[in-house]
Amino acid sequence: MTKPPLLATRAVSKHFGGLKAVDEVDLELAQGEILGVIGPNGAGKTTLFSLIAGSIQPTSGEVLMRGHEVSGRPAYRLVRAGVVRTHQLVRPFPNLTVAENVTVGAIHGAWRDEASPRARAAEVLEFVGLAERANELPGTLTLAGRKRLELARALAIVPLVLMLDEVIAGVNPVEAMKLAALIRRIRDERGVSIVMIEHVMPAVMSLSDRIAVLDHGKKIAEGKPAEVAANPLVVEAYLGKGAAEEGATPA
Amino acid sequence: MRRWAADVPFWSAVPFVIVVAALAALPLSLRISPYERNLVTVAFLMISGALAWNWMGGYLGQVSFGHAAMFGLGGFVAARLMLHENPAPAPIAWLLGGIAAGVFSLGAHPMLRLRGPYFSIATIGVGEASRLLFTYWEEFTGGASGVSLPIDIGMKARLYWWALGLAALVVTASFVIRRSTLGLQLLAIKADVDAAADVGVNATFYQDLVMVLSGAVVGITGGLWASFFSFIEPADMFGFDRSIGFVLMSVIGGVGTVLGPVLGAVVFVLLRQFLLASYPQLYLGLYGILLILIILFEPLGLTGLGLRLARAVRRRRRAPGVVAAP
Repeated sequence: MTKPPLLATRAVSKHFGGLKAVDEVDLELAQGEILGVIGPNGAGKTTLFSLIAGSIQPTSGEVLMRGHEVSGRPAYRLVRAGVVRTHQLVRPFPNLTVAENVTVGAIHGAWRDEASPRARAAEVLEFVGLAERANELPGTLTLAGRKRLELARALAIVPLVLMLDEVIAGVNPVEAMKLAALIRRIRDERGVSIVMIEHVMPAVMSLSDRIAVLDHGKKIAEGKPAEVAANPLVVEAYLGKGAAEEGATPA
Repeated sequence: MRRWAADVPFWSAVPFVIVVAALAALPLSLRISPYERNLVTVAFLMISGALAWNWMGGYLGQVSFGHAAMFGLGGFVAARLMLHENPAPAPIAWLLGGIAAGVFSLGAHPMLRLRGPYFSIATIGVGEASRLLFTYWEEFTGGASGVSLPIDIGMKARLYWWALGLAALVVTASFVIRRSTLGLQLLAIKADVDAAADVGVNATFYQDLVMVLSGAVVGITGGLWASFFSFIEPADMFGFDRSIGFVLMSVIGGVGTVLGPVLGAVVFVLLRQFLLASYPQLYLGLYGILLILIILFEPLGLTGLGLRLARAVRRRRRAPGVVAAP
């Protein structure tokens, strides 16, 4: 019998009334993999994240972690099991310093070593390049800085799976390249498996080992970045019917 | 247990221990009159109550206007235990009153789904409902005529040290909570419940925990209060004024800080004492004005004002160097 994947969804669905925001999606994430999730606006990417992270309950289907069902557990318990997400809109605790923000993350989670939460927070701040801002309030950081803080807070938990919801979007191109490099280092140096939603195509194409494409709640394609980019269904979802015949590729 | 380690350097306890020791010695020096000693005792009790309220209102950001319910319950449970045919020793009665108040406050668990003003409004309802309930429950509270406690000569004087001990304990607890990872989690919940859950904080559990602790300490304070005045009535113990008092003390002094509620309680007790004697109608109005000014200009109250002054002084000291710079 093969080892079950680190994280998997089995026909997971979420209906809001008549709207099928997520419709029977199957995903698998292997240890050490970066899985990109793309799709047009309203495709259900963030809802899928919320289903996996426990913020909302699936209408049907299940979320499995190493073969064990975890759907239905509250968010804080999934975090302690090692599934950690960041948000599209960064949400630092504005009343805590940068270091304290990260320390809150370091209190819980799947770690089992001796370092105190503060020591762990200091180490993570060094890793993301925010050590010098440790004692400032998050409000003094740039957007890119706050995104690094969000990553640091998530990393302090020592996640097995990190779910990044548009971490790169919205910052300037130079910062975007730095954040992409940081995400790669998170996987390479810390061994964290990553699922990322991203609209910045160069970043998601170069970072991801595999890409899943959602449209209207359904998974319409999955595969290596180049395969997905050439898939007529994907081109159609992004650019409309007819675009595929004209030989366009998604931007 | 390292994940609970509090960031409290041991030397920070030294000035605190000196202050507590000085206060403990104060009534032994003969200069202090019984009137003054009683005033200080009341201040100690108010400090304990305000700080315990501040765990909810300041650290957790759940502003309660119903803490009189726990204050009253603690007071009446302690009073009934001391009036029993096998009377409980006062400290045991106070403690049991506090436990009863803590358990009672757990009944507000469903209200923790509410946040901000919605929670506050709900607490007004619970506070007023408790007042009415306990006023009509005459077997327990004596109704409108209240309850007189057994006379214990010397208790009023001894209560000075009991109240000081309680206040010292609550100050220490407030400080340790504030500096520990527990305090960080409470502040995180205050800022954003959902984001706190996303980093693994069990917000429901911590809110319940703090509510019970806060209620229990306010209940113990109520018990000491009952012994101190040896007569209590529900209209006063469960009164809305009392709930407002806990809010006012913390807000005047500086919500969310440790020093704030201490300063606030002292100012509150002194103002009340002087104004109540000469202008009984004026004092609530004055609190109202004070509250508006603080919320408008200095949300951290007296503590914030102090910090602002300290910064100004430091800037003035540095100013000549700035001028000399090219």
